[in-house]
Amino acid sequence: MMRLLAARADRRRPMPMPVAATGRTPIRRRTFLALAALLACFVAIAAQLLRLGLRQEADLHLNVAEPIGQSWSRPDIVDRNGQLLATDVASHSLYADPQLVLDLDEVIEKVTAILGGLDRAEVRRALADRSRRFTWIARGLSPRQAQLIHDLGLPALAFRTELKRVYPLGPLAGHLLGTVNVDNKGLAGLERWLDETAKVEAVHGPERSDKPALRLALDVGVQHALAEELQEAVRRYSASGAAGLVLDLTDGEILAAASLPGADPARPADWLDLRHADKLLAGSFELGSVFKTLTVAMALEAGVADLDTVYDVRRPLTIGAYTITDLHPSSRPLNLREIFLHSSNVGAGLVALDLGADRQRQFLAKLGLLEPLRTQVGLSAAPQLPKHWGRIETVTISYGHGLAVAPLQLAAAMGAAISGAQLSPTLLAGEARPHPKPLLAPATSARIREILRLNVTSSAGTGRRADAEGYRVGGKTGTAEMPGRGGYQAKAVISSFIGAFPMDAPKYLTLVMLFEPEPVAGLAPGITAGLNAAPTTARIVHRIAPVLGVLPRPIGASEPKEGPFDALTAAQ
Amino acid sequence: MLRIINSALLLLTLVAVFALYAIKYDARRLEARINMQERDLEKLENHVAVLVAERAHLARPKALEPLARNLGLAPIAPRQYLRLEALPAADTGR
Repeated sequence: MMRLLAARADRRRPMPMPVAATGRTPIRRRTFLALAALLACFVAIAAQLLRLGLRQEADLHLNVAEPIGQSWSRPDIVDRNGQLLATDVASHSLYADPQLVLDLDEVIEKVTAILGGLDRAEVRRALADRSRRFTWIARGLSPRQAQLIHDLGLPALAFRTELKRVYPLGPLAGHLLGTVNVDNKGLAGLERWLDETAKVEAVHGPERSDKPALRLALDVGVQHALAEELQEAVRRYSASGAAGLVLDLTDGEILAAASLPGADPARPADWLDLRHADKLLAGSFELGSVFKTLTVAMALEAGVADLDTVYDVRRPLTIGAYTITDLHPSSRPLNLREIFLHSSNVGAGLVALDLGADRQRQFLAKLGLLEPLRTQVGLSAAPQLPKHWGRIETVTISYGHGLAVAPLQLAAAMGAAISGAQLSPTLLAGEARPHPKPLLAPATSARIREILRLNVTSSAGTGRRADAEGYRVGGKTGTAEMPGRGGYQAKAVISSFIGAFPMDAPKYLTLVMLFEPEPVAGLAPGITAGLNAAPTTARIVHRIAPVLGVLPRPIGASEPKEGPFDALTAAQ
Repeated sequence: MLRIINSALLLLTLVAVFALYAIKYDARRLEARINMQERDLEKLENHVAVLVAERAHLARPKALEPLARNLGLAPIAPRQYLRLEALPAADTGR
C-alpha cells in the first residue's frame, strides 16, 4: 500500500522539458507543422482551382425553385389493334410572379393579344395581387404560343412544363373515352375509370406514365364506319340525333359505340351540355317494337306458345279504358311468327296477357332490364319502371312502351335472347371474365334467330331494308313515339333496329337508333324504323363486315342452314 | 525515424484529402451529367410521344377515308369475293 502511494506521488512530479537537437522548442516546431498543413490545404485548393480552370467545364448549376403544382400522369389508351386513342404529351403552362410585374397594363395587353381566349379582367385580378408569388395565367399552351410569350421577354412570366392529355382521333369515341380536367384528372368515361382503378399517378412535372396502355375492345375502323353512317343518316332523315352500337355476341366486347351529337374529349364543356349526353348509357328510352322479340322469347321459354300458336288479332285489344290497336290491322288471325313479322301490338299484348305480369317481370329481370347496367364508364341510366305493373302495363311493355331502359342495356338483353347466354358488355379487350351463364333454352334462342332472320328476308317483315347483301342480317325494328306534353307525340319518334349477323352463326350485334327522323321524298315516305333505321343498319353492316372478317355468302348461293350455334361454346 | 514516419503519414493524409476531394468533385460532376442526360431522355421521350400522337392523328380514319375515296377505293363488296373452286383452272402451259 505504501509503495503504491509513493508511485502516485512520483507521477505528480513535473517532467523535465526536453530540448530539441536543432535548438527549436517543441511549441515552435508544432506551430511550424500547423502552418505547413495550412499551406498544404491552400496548395490543394489552388491546384483544384487550376484544374477546374484548365478543364473549362461549367459545373455550376443554378437551382431555380419551381412552383409546386400537382398533375396526373395517365397511361395511353389504345384500340384493340393498338391504334392510339389518348396519350399524355408535355406542354407549356404559363404562370406569373405578381411581385415581378413592372407594368401591369403592358403584361395584360401583350399576353391577351397572344392568348385570345383569356379573360382580361381575370388576368388583371390575378396579377394585381402582389402578396402572391405564383399565379397561373394559362395551362396547356401550344409550342407556338409558348414561343411567342417567351419572346415578349417579360420578367414576371415563366413557364412550367406539365402533362396534357391529347386525343389524336378527335371526337371519335368521345363518349367512351371521357375527358380530363386541367390537372389531367379524369372527369368522365374511361378517363374517370382510370382514376378510380388507381391507374394514374400524381406527378410534379412532365413525367409520362410507365404503366401499360389500356387496350380497349373498340376497333377504330368499325367505330369510324358506324359514326360516319350515323352522321349520314342524321343528315338524310333530318333526325335530331342518333346512336349506334356494335357488340361482339360471344364475349360482350363493345367494338363500336357512337351517340350523336357527339362529345369531344378535348372539350370538357360537352359533358355539361345535355344535348351531347351519351344516348346509349346516360338516357333511358321506350324503344317500341324491338321489345316484341323479348315477348316472343318469353312465351317460347315459358312454353305458353310456339311459333305456330294462333292469336285473334282482328279486333283492337281493350283493357279498361285503354284500347290497343295495330297500325295495319290484320283481317285474319295470325300465328306468333306472323305477329312478330307484322309487328302486331295486339298480338304481342295477347301473348303477354297469356304469360301474366309476374312472369313478364321475372323474365325481364333475368335479362337484367330492371336494374341499371354497370360498365367501365359507370352505371347506365336507371330503368323507368311502371309504378303499378298491372294488365295494361303488361300489354304496353310487351310492345315496348311503359318501360324505359338504356339502349345498351336493351342491346345486351337482345344479345342474350339471340345467343341464349348472359351478355355483359365490356369496353376492355381480352379481359379475363367468367363464362357466360346460360339464360334461355337452346331451342328458344334458335327460334329467335329464325324469326329475326325471317323479319329481314320475308316480304312481310318490317326489316327488309336491313338486308345487307351476302351478310345474313336478322333483326327487329322498333318505332316508339316520344313522350311529350299531354301524352305521346305521333310525329316525333325514336326509330330503332337491333340486329345481328351473320345469322347462321351470329357473331355481331348491331343497334341503330334515330331520334325524330322525318320522311324523305322518294326514299322514306314515312318515319317508321323499317324506312330509316333498317337501311342504315344495312349500310353499316356492308362497311364493317369486311373489317371484322365476316365473309359474305356468294351471290346466288342458297341460304345456309343454321349450324350448331351455341354462344357458350363460341365464347369458350 | 519517428519524425520521418510522421511526416510521411502527414503527406499521405494530405494526398488522400486531395484525392478524396477530387473524386468527390468528379462524382458531383458525373451526377450532374446523369441528371442532364435524364432530362434529355425525358425531353426525347416527350418528343417521341408527340410524334406518335401526330402519326395517330394523321392516320385517323377521317383523314384517310377521303384520300382513299379519291383514289377510287371503297369497302370491299360481296361481289368481289369468289369461292376458290369458282376460279378458272390455272394454265400451267403443259
